[in-house]
Formats: sequence, structure tokens, C-alpha cells
Amino acid sequence: MPQITIDGIEYEVDEGKTVLQAIDDLGLLMTEVDIPHYCWHPKLSIDGSCRLCQVEIEGMPKLQIACNTAVRDGMVVRTRNERVEQARQGVMELLLVNHPLDCPICDQAGECKLQDYAFDYGVKHARSDEPRRPAKKATSLGPTILFDQERCILCRRCVRFCREIPKTGELGVFERGDESLLEVFPGSELDNDYSMNVADLCPVGALTTKDFRFKIRVWFLDDVDSVCNQCSNGCNVSASLSNNRVYRYVPRRNDAVNDTWMCDSGRLSYKTIAEGRLERARVRGKPTEYRSAMKAAGAALRAARETGGRIVCVASPFTPNEDLFVLRELIEALGGESGGFTVPTGAADEILIKAEKAPNAAGARALGFAESPAALGPAAVAIVLGHSTPAAALAQVELRILIDTHESELAADAQIVLPARSFAEREGSFTNHAGRVQRFAALVEPHFEAWAEGEVLRQLAAAAGLEGWAARFDPRAAGKRLAESVPAFAGIDLDTVGDQGLELQ
Amino acid sequence: MITAPHVTGYLSEHYGDDAYRTVAGYEARGGFAGLSQALAMQPQEVIETVKSSGLRGRGGAGFTTGLKWSFMPERSDRVKVLVCNADESEPGSFKDRLIMERAPLQVLEGILIAAWATGAERTFIYVRGEYQICIARLEEAVAECRERGYLGANVANKRGFAHDVVVHSGAGAYICGEETGLLESLEGKKGQPRNKPPFPAQHGAFGLPTTVNNVETFAHVPFILERGVDWFRQSGTEKSPGTTLFGVSGHVERPGLFELPLGTPLSEILDLAGGVAGGRALKAVIPGGMSMPVISPSEIGVRMAEEFLSEIGTHLGTGGVMVMDETTCMVRVACVISYFFRDESCGQCTQCREGTAWIHKVCERIERGRGSAADLEVLADVPGLMEGQTICAFADAAAWPIQGLMRRFRPDFEAHIQAEKCPFPGSFEL
Amino acid sequence: MQAATREKIDSLFERYPQKRGALLPALYLVQAEQGFVDQVQAREVAQLFEITPVEVWEVLTFYNMFYTTPQGRHQVYFCANLPCSLRGGRSLLKTVEAHLGIHAGQTTPDGRITLGHEECLGSCGTAPIMRVDGSYHENLDAEAARRIIDALE
Repeated sequence: MPQITIDGIEYEVDEGKTVLQAIDDLGLLMTEVDIPHYCWHPKLSIDGSCRLCQVEIEGMPKLQIACNTAVRDGMVVRTRNERVEQARQGVMELLLVNHPLDCPICDQAGECKLQDYAFDYGVKHARSDEPRRPAKKATSLGPTILFDQERCILCRRCVRFCREIPKTGELGVFERGDESLLEVFPGSELDNDYSMNVADLCPVGALTTKDFRFKIRVWFLDDVDSVCNQCSNGCNVSASLSNNRVYRYVPRRNDAVNDTWMCDSGRLSYKTIAEGRLERARVRGKPTEYRSAMKAAGAALRAARETGGRIVCVASPFTPNEDLFVLRELIEALGGESGGFTVPTGAADEILIKAEKAPNAAGARALGFAESPAALGPAAVAIVLGHSTPAAALAQVELRILIDTHESELAADAQIVLPARSFAEREGSFTNHAGRVQRFAALVEPHFEAWAEGEVLRQLAAAAGLEGWAARFDPRAAGKRLAESVPAFAGIDLDTVGDQGLELQ
Repeated sequence: MITAPHVTGYLSEHYGDDAYRTVAGYEARGGFAGLSQALAMQPQEVIETVKSSGLRGRGGAGFTTGLKWSFMPERSDRVKVLVCNADESEPGSFKDRLIMERAPLQVLEGILIAAWATGAERTFIYVRGEYQICIARLEEAVAECRERGYLGANVANKRGFAHDVVVHSGAGAYICGEETGLLESLEGKKGQPRNKPPFPAQHGAFGLPTTVNNVETFAHVPFILERGVDWFRQSGTEKSPGTTLFGVSGHVERPGLFELPLGTPLSEILDLAGGVAGGRALKAVIPGGMSMPVISPSEIGVRMAEEFLSEIGTHLGTGGVMVMDETTCMVRVACVISYFFRDESCGQCTQCREGTAWIHKVCERIERGRGSAADLEVLADVPGLMEGQTICAFADAAAWPIQGLMRRFRPDFEAHIQAEKCPFPGSFEL
Repeated sequence: MQAATREKIDSLFERYPQKRGALLPALYLVQAEQGFVDQVQAREVAQLFEITPVEVWEVLTFYNMFYTTPQGRHQVYFCANLPCSLRGGRSLLKTVEAHLGIHAGQTTPDGRITLGHEECLGSCGTAPIMRVDGSYHENLDAEAARRIIDALE
């Protein structure tokens, strides 16, 4: 492997990479090695036009762009001397000649690379009093994205994204020179399943999502790692939080799962955390205290056990691994049967979107749950997680106890309804389509009484009079038991998966 | 329309003769002798010959032609191509136009020799879109060469040597004269220059190994093969052998083209052009096309070859000599030049896109009498932010003339700022 | 796009190792139909070349010699670059602007002439120059320019 020296420190890097790529692969870009960049992006083709990543390379008379210079064994790179600083300052000043400097009213402020680098490299504005180039303000490019041309620095990340990732190619740069203009074909729109990624890619405030624009200043937000639960791909996300509310998802880089992207419908699914929730426990349609509903469920389970009635437990591909393991334990303790699980399906593509529209079908399978039969047959009681099981499958069940997060046909139909915390309200893990176990953190607290599914199951067990279910559900502890008892999960639990996940054994 | 240079040499001896454009007329005047000479040699020998002739490209950069040819992979499982850069757009340059209009077969013969030397199977001649007559003349010549066996399979009866030529029209963009901007344009894209590496010899037109040469460069090649390296080196200088077609424009009595050995003193060229028009005094000369820094009257003794011009801070470029008399306002000159580069920047690189526009706006404001001392600092600094920092040399070309003007004619700029108007009422109109 | 245009374009493809090489020549052919390329035509070209319409539009707007809006029946262009300017090219353009009552970049109300200026046309030795529909008129003076323009139908 080639050795290169950057500012006096030696690094071993991969052959065939460019300087910037190699540094990024080592995870050092902008942490240890300061090479600012606009047009370069680790998951897009090289453009080489912003010229900000120029560095000095020993033996080469001109400064070179780090994004397009291949590493060579023995290469000596300098990123900090005066010449490099001057070149960066030059680029920054030139980018600011036509920039409106409207940070106070710009939604990107606080996460703007123009702002950051201008600050870092000491160029707050250009020495220019010329009238700025006339530009379009806040034009709609399509259903999801607004464009403020005056802020655009023409890095063409968005153009390359549309051509290279969704391959829809809606964006282009028209005209030339200082009249260059990012645009869609006249009369058409930026409209694809991944369109909102361009707002993440845009290093400045030129492209913003209609959804997030002007909702909140980004410095009021805390970012917490999570995973999208809309399909079995399990795209890694950062959830931006403030005041016990999720304001947005942005994709979090995971090269094994979603690179740096996510689909628009997944991105907008943060809204489902707050919308359409089951907020009250119900017994035969009547809202009740949680405790009373639990008491009624416990009584039904006890009666069924005493009379030898059949108890069926239905799993859900939306339920985290840890809670599914508790369900397994409960089935055994109750002497019940598994009713399997049902995965909703839909359209898929070859990028990220998977046909299985649930985050943990692979986890359910790995835990030994089978696909539900069309009908579960006659039973005294069914404990049902989630609402992906068709109501018809439960038609012959006398008493249905539903543990779920959202209103549904099943919730209307079940005699006992116990609200559960959504995945955003507790920690846990999902296993994605490729068998990667990925952790998510609690993002918000529900404003109503609800418990993690594992805890609801524990309370049910206790209410049914089972022994040994006194200790409150703890996903970490449940995960450890899971790792010990299911070989596929050996060594994989919430403490070991890290922020990039681990594949099942 | 010019039909022949005011001063002719080996290249342009027959330019005035319409028959020179037909295969028979061309052959009768010595045409294709260089090709037969080349075809009697091994390709490698041809490259060596052109290398030792010292022929330098006539498109502006002055790179050694034979060396460029040697970059082409000798063996390749991909088709190799040549590109003739006929996108002549450098303000002050009009030589390639004459060559194509008057001697399209010279260009084709040079192409065929290069094709034999490099193993190229196809040539694209990329002609700027405005040069309609050149395109027509080249197409006529290509058609006749096909009929007469100079193109197609077995060129000039050489078994196994196949070559064909496509004449391709550009569509109005100066940047397509840049080697890789041209290749992008040829591929049907915007003419935005490519990052290098890879270089065209590895990954050129349509991803194929490619050599790009200028029109005039190709035109010299047959003579080198026909008459030999020693003969070629008799004219010109040690480092810049041969003649070139100097184009003289602006305030001279007799503008036009002059075929003269490289190294001819600029003063001699100006004399041949009849001196400054109307007997007025000389103020400035741009010696090598508009991208090159301007020089002062005291410097016109310089010999017109890169090795001498670079010593005084300018370049030979395309040999387009632009002459400005004493009435000329150099701020207006800066306005015209900076407008051109602003208009023609492809818009990719930050420094070029933003710098060219900024410089132009400042020049215009100074010309209107609204400039300040701070503007002079901008004009002194901004070209430095652009030079040597972009994908292609366009930003250098935009920076150099402004640097040259600031170096030699700063008083003109200062006078505008002081007078708060243009103090050269007799200058050419903007 | 007319069938004849399409046939001509089809015959261009073999000249290039990749289909897209024929794009500039094809756009000239399409432009010849009505003097500019409209959005419908651009979409047709995109389909023919198996590229996106936005790529066609990028090319059309990058090059000076392609137009995406209607042009006058005749196009009159003056070189405004240095060698022509030094020999009165810009003064000539002003005279013609006054004569036609329009500015460079505009078309006469009767749609007869679109007037413009452009960059160096390679006539520096025969400056100033006016380009009319692809023909060069060199060593021009105001009177000759007026005469040529007035003769345009």
C-alpha cells in the first residue's frame, strides 16, 4: 500500500485512489486533514471545478486539486502553507463576489459550507461593489425542492446526483460563463424518488426542501442517530430534534447500506412519528386507563390458560429484534403458539427502495417467526403486534389483544388495544434485508402513556400471572439474552453494533 | 477575403492559385510528395523525423509535435484517432482560415502522414462553425481524396493503411479551441475542458487514444517529410524552426498575413505591414493573439519566437500581432479583452467564471470614470487568483492580458480615475 | 421534426464512434427548419439520441450559434473584438443600430433582421467585418453595410 505524507504525517492509503478519496476512506477528512471542498463528494463522479481542494504536491510546480490527483507511494502533500491558504482565500473571495450574503434570512445558515469556509479561511466578503448577477429567487424546481439561484455556486453536485444515482437527469447547467444557470428542462420538474438528496448535497443555501424550509434554525436542532423504518433497506438517518419533536431526517452515511442517500418517502416518514397514533388504551372500543386494559387482557389470558384455550401470538416486521425475542419468550411461557408475521409489500427499485415495506422482516425470520398463514384458525386469544396482519386472518379468534403504535383497521376491530411506543420513542435494533442489525436511539418521548412492545408483553405476562416477569423490559438486557440464545445474533447486541450496524452471523 | 499572404514562403507559395485546391493541381505543385516519402518509411521513423525537425505546434502552446505523436500508444486494441483543431478563435488570428480556404489538401496530407506515423484510423477536423467556406473547401477536398484513393482503404496504394476524415462543425464557443473542450464538443457535449489526467493520448475523443494538432501544424508536416529535417531547420530559430503565418491587424497600413521565419523581429513584421496607419505613433502591440500580454513600443525589436518573447513577459501564442496607435485608450482595450473572456468562459471553474466577470465589470466602471484606487488593486490581484489554478489554460489567457496592461499601461488606468472620465476622446469607439 | 431532417440525422450517426457525436450537426439540421430549436424539437432530438432533454438544452444554450427563440429572417452580426474595434467595428454597429432602429440582440419589428455582435470571426486582416447569414462581408464601411442590409428581403 502506498505511503503518503500529508503535512509531515505519514499515512498508508489504498492504491488507485485520489488524495481526497484516500483521506476520506481513512475517516480523516475535515477532522485531521483539512482539505475544504465543494464539488467533490465521496459518492459522485469527480468534477474538479470548484478548485477549493488545491494542495501543494512536492515536485509539481502548480497546486493540484486533491480530488483528482492520484496517490503515489512517497507523495508529499502540503495543505497548510501560505500558497495553499492564498489559493483557498482566492476561491472563497471569488465565490463571494456574486453571493448575496443573506445568511440572516437563509435557511442553510448554520450548516452552510460557504459560511463555514469563509469563516475558516478568513474571507468574509469579496472586495467587490459591483452589482451582483441578476438571479431568480426561491423558484420551485419540483414538488420537493426550492432553488435560490443567487446562492448557487455551480458545484454541480445536484446535477451529477440526478444523472448518476436515480439516473433521471432532470438538472442541468444552461448558458455558460458567469451566466451559467442551474435549471430543469423548460416546463419539466425535478421529480424523482430521491429528489430531496440534492438539498443535502447542496453545500450552500441554493437548494432547500419545501418540507424543512423555514421550520426552525438548525442551531436549535440536536442530531441523533436512527434508522428509517419504511422498508427493509434500513437507511441510516440522523434525526434532527428540538422540543421533543423530530423536524427532519437526513441520511447518515453508511457505505454498506445507503451510502449518503435516502428516498424521499423515507425522509418524510418522520411525520408518522407524530401522526395517526394510538394514544389511549381501549377495551371493546372504549378508551380506558392503561392499567384497566392490561387487567382485562391478563384476565382473558388467565382464563384461556385455565380452560386450555388456544393462545396465538402474532409478530410484526415493525417490531424491533429485542421485543420480538421477548415475544418468543412469552410464547414459551404462556404455552402459546406463534402466529407468524405478515410483511406489507410495494414497489422496489435497484437503488435503495425495497419491496418489503417494514424494517425488521429479516429480524423476525432470524428469530424463527414464519410468514403468517392466510387464516390463523380458531383461537381463544390472540396477542397481535402491529397491524400488518390482515383482519381476515384473525376472524376466528375470540379475543384479540392488539399492541400497536398507530390507528388501523385492526385497532378498530380488536377488543383490547394497548398503545405501544414507536421505534422513535425507545431504543432498539432492526435487521435489514441483508441481515445487518442496526441500532436506533430514542428520539422523543410520547405525550401519552405507551410502552415499548417488549414492556407491554412483560406486563401482559405479569397480568396473566406468569412467574419471573417482574423486571421491567430493558432492550439492552433483552438484546443480550437474544445474542446468547439465537446463534445468528451471537455477539451482536446494542452495545456492539455501533453506528454502522453488524451483519448477522 | 484574403487569398494569399502579403509575404509568402514554402507553405503559402501556391495559396493564390485556385488549382492548388484540386488533387491534380496540388500534385502538380509538389503536393503528396511528403506523403509518399512518409509511406516509404516505418511509422516510428516518421515520428523521429518530425521530432528531430523540432516542429512546434502552431496552435498557441508551441508543444513539440513529434513528441506529442510519440505519446500515442504504439499498440492499442482500440481505434486511434487524430483531431485537427480548426477552431481558430483567438482574436487576432486568421491564418488557419486562409490555409483551409486555399490549401485544404496541405492539411489533409499532413493528417495522412500523422495517421501513418501514429496508426490512427480516423481524423475529425473540428472547424469553428462560422468558417463555412473552410468547411465547404475541406469537404470538397475530402471527397476528392476519397475518389482518388488518398482516403479510404489502402491510402495512396499503401496496402493496409486505411484512413478516413470527418469534417465536423463547431457551433460558436472559443473554449472549443482548448484541446479537451474540443473533444467534449466533438462528443456532442458542452465544450467544457476535462480534468487531466487522463490525457488525450490515453483517453481522448470518444475515449479513444487521440492526438490533437492545429491546422497549420499539419500543413508544415508534408514539407518536412519531402524536403528533410536539415532543410526545415534552415528557417526559423534553433528552438523554433520553420516559418509561420503571422497575422497583423489593427492600426497598420497593410493588415494581413505574412509568412516569415520564426524569430523574425517584430519591428520587421510591422514594417512589412506598412507601419502604423496614417503615420501615427505606435502605442502598444499584442504579439501573439489576444491571450498574450501587451508590449510597449520600446520592445518591438524582440524576435518573434517563444524563447525571446517569454523573456520579456509575453508569448508567441498564435502569432496574431495586434497593433494599437497613439490614440488608443488602453482601458477600452481592457474592456474589449475582458468582455471577450467573460463571454467565452465555459463557466466550470470558480476562478474563471467569477474572475472574468469581475474584471470586466471593474474595467467598464473605470472607463466610465467611476473607478477608484481600490479597483486598481483588484485588477492587480484578481488575475493572480485565476492564473494557473483552473482545469484549463483559459483562465491564464484571461489573466495575462490584464496583467500585461497593468504592468505596462497602468498610467492609462490612473488617468481615468483622476479625470473621472476617459481621457482619450480620439480612441476607437467602445 | 420533419421526416427529411430525421433521415439526414440518421445518416450522420455512422460518422462517429458514438451516436452522440452527431448531436451538433443534428442540431444544425433541426435549427434549419425554423431558425431556432424549440422545446418540442429538443425533446425529439433527446429521444433520438437517447439522452435527456436537459442535456440537449445544455448544449443548445452553451453555443452561440444555436438559438432557442425565434430569430429574424436574416442574421446580421458584427465582430466586436479588438482587431475589428480598432478599425471601427463597433462604430459601424452603432450606425447600423441607428439605421435599423434596434439594438444588438434585438430583431426588427417586421421580423426581417436580428442584429448582434459576436466574438472574433477570423477576419482581423480584413476588419471590420459583418456576418450576414453565414456570409462574411469584410473591409466594410458604413455605406457598404447599409447597402447590404437594405438589400435583405
